[in-house]
Amino acid sequence: MRRWLRVPLAGPLAAVTVVALGLAACGTDSGGTGGGSGAIQIWEGYTGAEAKAFAHLMAQYQAEHPGQKVSSLFVSNDNTLQKVLTAVRGGSPPDIAYLFGSWAPNVAQIPQVVDLTRVVQRPGVNWGDFWVGERAVATVKGKVIGVPALVDNLAVVYNKTLFANAGLQPPGPGWTWQQFQADAKKLTNPAIRQYGTAYVTPGSEDTVWHWEALLWEAGGQLLSADGKKAAFDSPAGLASLNTLRAMSVTDKSMYLDPTDSAYANLFNSGKIGMLVTGPWDLSGFPNVHYGVQVMPSYPGTSGGHQTISGPDNWVIFNNGAARAAAAEKFILWLTAPAQIRYFSLHTGDLPTRQSVGNAAGLSQQMNTALPGVSTFTANLAYVRQARPQIPQYPKISQILGTMIVSVLLGKSQPQAALSSAAQQVNQVLAAG
Amino acid sequence: MVASEQFTGWAFVTPGAVIIVLFGAVPIVWSALMSFQRSNLLTPSTPFAGLKNYRQMVHDPIVVQAIQHTLIYTALFVPGTMIVGLFLAVAMNRKIRFISLYRTAAYATMAISTISEAIVFIWLFDPSYGIVNYLLSLIGVPPQQFLNSPSQALYVIVVMTIWGWTGFAVVIYLAALQGVPQVLLEAAAIDGAGPWRTFRRVTLPLLSPASLFLAVWLTINALQLFDEVYLSTQGGPLNATTVLVYYLYNQAFQQFNFGYASAIAYFLFLVIIVITVIQFRVGRRLTYYRS
Amino acid sequence: MTATSAPARGGVQASAGGGVQRARRRWRLPFSPWHLVLAPATLVLIFPFIWLLVTSVETPSEALRFPPVLAPHVLRFANYPDALSSAPFGRFFVNSTVVAVGTVLCNLVLCSLAGYALARFRFLGRSVLFVVIMATLMVPFQVTMIPQFIITKWLGVHVLAAVGINHIGALILPNAATAFGIFFLRQFFRTLPLEYEEAARVDGASRLTVLVRIVLPLAAPALATLTALTFLDSWNNFLWPLIAITSTNQMTLPLGLATFQGAHATEWPLLMAGNVMSLVPMLAIFFLAQRYFIRSVAATGLAGT
Repeated sequence: MRRWLRVPLAGPLAAVTVVALGLAACGTDSGGTGGGSGAIQIWEGYTGAEAKAFAHLMAQYQAEHPGQKVSSLFVSNDNTLQKVLTAVRGGSPPDIAYLFGSWAPNVAQIPQVVDLTRVVQRPGVNWGDFWVGERAVATVKGKVIGVPALVDNLAVVYNKTLFANAGLQPPGPGWTWQQFQADAKKLTNPAIRQYGTAYVTPGSEDTVWHWEALLWEAGGQLLSADGKKAAFDSPAGLASLNTLRAMSVTDKSMYLDPTDSAYANLFNSGKIGMLVTGPWDLSGFPNVHYGVQVMPSYPGTSGGHQTISGPDNWVIFNNGAARAAAAEKFILWLTAPAQIRYFSLHTGDLPTRQSVGNAAGLSQQMNTALPGVSTFTANLAYVRQARPQIPQYPKISQILGTMIVSVLLGKSQPQAALSSAAQQVNQVLAAG
Repeated sequence: MVASEQFTGWAFVTPGAVIIVLFGAVPIVWSALMSFQRSNLLTPSTPFAGLKNYRQMVHDPIVVQAIQHTLIYTALFVPGTMIVGLFLAVAMNRKIRFISLYRTAAYATMAISTISEAIVFIWLFDPSYGIVNYLLSLIGVPPQQFLNSPSQALYVIVVMTIWGWTGFAVVIYLAALQGVPQVLLEAAAIDGAGPWRTFRRVTLPLLSPASLFLAVWLTINALQLFDEVYLSTQGGPLNATTVLVYYLYNQAFQQFNFGYASAIAYFLFLVIIVITVIQFRVGRRLTYYRS
Repeated sequence: MTATSAPARGGVQASAGGGVQRARRRWRLPFSPWHLVLAPATLVLIFPFIWLLVTSVETPSEALRFPPVLAPHVLRFANYPDALSSAPFGRFFVNSTVVAVGTVLCNLVLCSLAGYALARFRFLGRSVLFVVIMATLMVPFQVTMIPQFIITKWLGVHVLAAVGINHIGALILPNAATAFGIFFLRQFFRTLPLEYEEAARVDGASRLTVLVRIVLPLAAPALATLTALTFLDSWNNFLWPLIAITSTNQMTLPLGLATFQGAHATEWPLLMAGNVMSLVPMLAIFFLAQRYFIRSVAATGLAGT
């Protein structure tokens, strides 16, 4: 039966291999999508109000700058990386792409990504006007690889009605995690399947960054100052994990959402008392009277009411000098204060510039459209640091995600989980 | 006679074969080459890494888990879908009122978008608010954690995907049932065979080519499960639903480890080939072709 | 003789033991007892569709509830025109139709030819080719999409622009012949008795004539099945169009529906309205095709064999 393996297979196999090798070698020629000279294409994932506001801005830009053509292509943010990487390997990257900030350390390695370090230092750009968390995420090893497209942060959104019904005082700006835990316990009622709070448990970065805010508030750090060792296996790490564990395992006041989608609808249905979440969720709560408060703190630590921010970037790809220049021009215009103000007012997204965020009247205006969003804007002042901007972060994130979920599910004790995770993270960092 | 058969054979086959080879075989060889390189898809440089990726696979505990989950899932999904599909196809193989609607309903389960399917099943199996726990409570079973439980999540995915693929099995079996000659069924009846015996001795053997086709096709797809996991549990909780293709996607597009992902893909490819060949060999002995 | 292809009342009619069976059945239902099986089964099968339909006419505030609301207080049929107008859906619909119809036609022709050759002919390399064809099914698309992108781009530049990146042809060509189609038809052709084909060849018909005049008519259920399944696959295909299409007016329906899904918020009522509208052609195709699933006995020509 082996006869047929020898003769007919060798020739075609060789041919196929040659073609494949040729493919692997080629694919780096530039060409790009987007069309004629100066016409640029943007890949973004805006829907609803954001899509309308962005379309308006593009039209406005083209009206004010005749001869500059700008078009956009919708790519759902979750799929962007697959599409961008395929396009990059195939030699046809877009001119501008909206990319999650957590990808920045890896995106920085793409050769076609334009280095914007000197571009953002140009007069009139006012790079320091962007919030500190944004600038940290747009910069990788001293190189600026993107311009901030979005900024957000985590705060506590609570159901005023449920608080009143339980006879609880609404959270104040100086509250503590002990109070949060006590409130959550009081708000939990198994008979009517009501929970005090919720936590997302897919084990992805979404699981991790909620916990990182607690770690920072407890005065802890993720990695050592030189970034070579894990530093979260500390009293602060233990305190933060214990807080989560107390609510999830002991009090059973925490609804665990492995799907990352049910928690918001549950809150909107009045089944959850408090959520630690961001401004993007506010428009999903039309049916409840909610309030927004800063995150609680751990008294006696240096962390205060620190929060975490998840900025995203506009990244420019090099499709030739003319198009790169046109792309830079558009992005600098798009992120100028006037356009940021327009975008924030029409979408409820937080303003990405401090000057716009602190401008008189803006917060009130945004609050009338989307109640509570001004608290998120003010909360940006509590963003003091960013997650480690290293290429190994995705691996570290996965290790931490597993750690947190196993504690939340009651499958492991916090100290053991911390030690095990720290060991794995050290291995990853050592491997370089 | 022989020479012209060679020529006609290749002439018939070439147009389809060219397309499949160009868009199918070439990428497969490319991925095999990638699996021997260190690549992150970000930079064009892909240094040769020998067997490093494969050795990493051997030492990776998650790969072992992924293999287990993939095999368990396949072993449950394939027979489950075939049995449900066969049962419904037999039920739908008659001219009663509304039969077109029943059949269209079965087909429609294939047409629904995976995200809608995922949302509904996530809701049905929600530990606190889902209908399944409610029904279980009616018969005294305490609420289960389902997608929140590392020991149960995979089985929920099995149920979800059986639902999604039933329509396919029904359609295939319906087509195959048309090839069961009425004459044979009546002959069996005349010989005194009851409906179940007729089914077992006449219909089932005549359906065996369709069964083999379904077994092979469903297995190939089950071993490459991805969408439902991606849209519901994302491999969790605690890697309980991490299957091989989900893990390689995670490695390629979340960990930027494309060479390693290619190695996993190629390993999976070899596993699928082996299982498929075994199925064909066993099938050759069990299937009955009238020609 | 009855023309139905299976017993209708749960028992074979003309049987020697019919007397025993008739004695057991004391009561008759006004409808076939199979309805008692099929109706609940169908309900289980279409439950997600109920959710889909209901959500498509809900207001956003009722759609943002958990557990989902199946009996909304306010119905909003305006979701449908709103969904259609939020993006050029007419164009998406046309694109999807062209791609699906093109793919189905190509498959019917190419897979019949290839499947028949693999089922009936003996030629050198037949087994190898079959193995290669099956092998292409065994590597996940996430890995093959990059080389497929590069090949498609090359073809668009060097061979024919209409099959290159950002053209609908690029969505048809890679799927113009699928391993599924070839595999499926090969298996089906093998189940057909050889007598008809041999008789025709003895009469001097060429291989092609045999295929077209004798075999394909006998394979109507399989061809109908292949049509329905290929159409479905093409209509719902998401990942390859996502990678290959780079301008809005070349998008297909699944890409268009994705515009309702943002990173953090999804417009469920509009998305579900879009989904319902997208389902209608597929269900219509199936509804028409499933008539060919059931052939009358007369067509098989087996009476008297």
